Amino acid sequence: MQIVIDIEDPNPPFAQLIEQVKQAVSNGQLGPGDPLPSIRQLANDLELNNKTVAKAYRLLERDSVIQSRGYRGTFVHPDGRSNSAVDLNAWVVEQLQEIIAAFRKAGITDPEINNAFRNVMNEQNNLGG
Amino acid sequence: MAWSNNLFYIAFLSQIFLMSYYFPNKLLARMRYILATYPPEMYPKLYPWPIEHYKLAHLAFKYITRFIMLLGLLILFAVMFWVDHSTFADDGFISEAWPAAYGMIQFLPLMAVEFSEFSHFKQMRKANSATKRTAEFRRRDFTDLVSPGLIGMALLLFAGAILFDLYVHDFAVTWGHDTIQRALVMSVTNGLLVIVGAWNLYGRKLDPHQSAGDRIQRISVNLKSLLYVSMALSVFIAITAADDMYSLDFIDAVIMSVYFQGIALLSLGYTLNSIKPDEIDFDVYRNDAAIT
Repeated sequence: MQIVIDIEDPNPPFAQLIEQVKQAVSNGQLGPGDPLPSIRQLANDLELNNKTVAKAYRLLERDSVIQSRGYRGTFVHPDGRSNSAVDLNAWVVEQLQEIIAAFRKAGITDPEINNAFRNVMNEQNNLGG
Repeated sequence: MAWSNNLFYIAFLSQIFLMSYYFPNKLLARMRYILATYPPEMYPKLYPWPIEHYKLAHLAFKYITRFIMLLGLLILFAVMFWVDHSTFADDGFISEAWPAAYGMIQFLPLMAVEFSEFSHFKQMRKANSATKRTAEFRRRDFTDLVSPGLIGMALLLFAGAILFDLYVHDFAVTWGHDTIQRALVMSVTNGLLVIVGAWNLYGRKLDPHQSAGDRIQRISVNLKSLLYVSMALSVFIAITAADDMYSLDFIDAVIMSVYFQGIALLSLGYTLNSIKPDEIDFDVYRNDAAIT
């Protein structure tokens, strides 16, 4: 299979990569246990920074679409097909929508929600969370 | 020994012809064939520089290799009629420095072609305005592109050459001995070959338009060529060790000349033979080519 990255696409390269890998796993082009190219190989082939590909791999691993097996490399996760259908970003948006709706219903203003959100994020970051 | 001298003259003549006439001619013929069959008007992405640049480079390559060929013939005549061999080697035999030094000069224009490819591809990447980049989403492993048997053979020859060298010296070598030096030379050279191989396998895609299939084929040919060169070096080292055991000093120069020819055959010869222009996908260099 081929990966195509458009550097002028508003979607950043790492997101394009994630999307295409998830698509390939979900439609069976990549099966459970299939080996993935190394970060360096893919970054060189796509003329991207190693960090960009590493970020995409990290997020795909977080979503259990792929798994790293140390020095043996990275492979498609055994449950990759079902996990690739899960969109954590969409889930985050959905959760936020529900919570923000509840805050507004309670009469909290948007600047108050913004401030609170920013403070909690900062606190979490300071805690290393 | 007159016969060993005659043998050297034949080997050296073959070295001159092979590396300064046959291969340069073959390379030039290929360059001209590509230029004629895939002209810049139809395949503009293949030529990031004006066409005159390539024609001039071809001409320079032709005259430099012809000059080196004449230099080789001059060296051959000098070795045959003028040189007092006892001034170059204590034993009075023809010194192996002649084919070695000349061989290095012969490799210079061939290496220049190789290096000019890098600047050609760099220019190609600079001229490439495509915003889409593609890559095969497949892990490239050494053993997918080269048979494990060949890798095993190269490793076996590497270890075998060192062991044989130790054996002929009764395993009684001290630091600084020729055997240690040869083992070090072999290890360093093989280390460099491994680095070049890894760079081929995982390194940057030099030609931005090259099709995935062509790239895989090119990498596979390069890796095999590196393995053949490593094997040739091991054989050369083993022969050099045998030289100590059987006192083959009188054919040292012949061995060196054959070694240089072997390296040229296994690197350039093998590559030219394995990659045929008609099998390369040149459509990727058209202006209307889809992304590869």
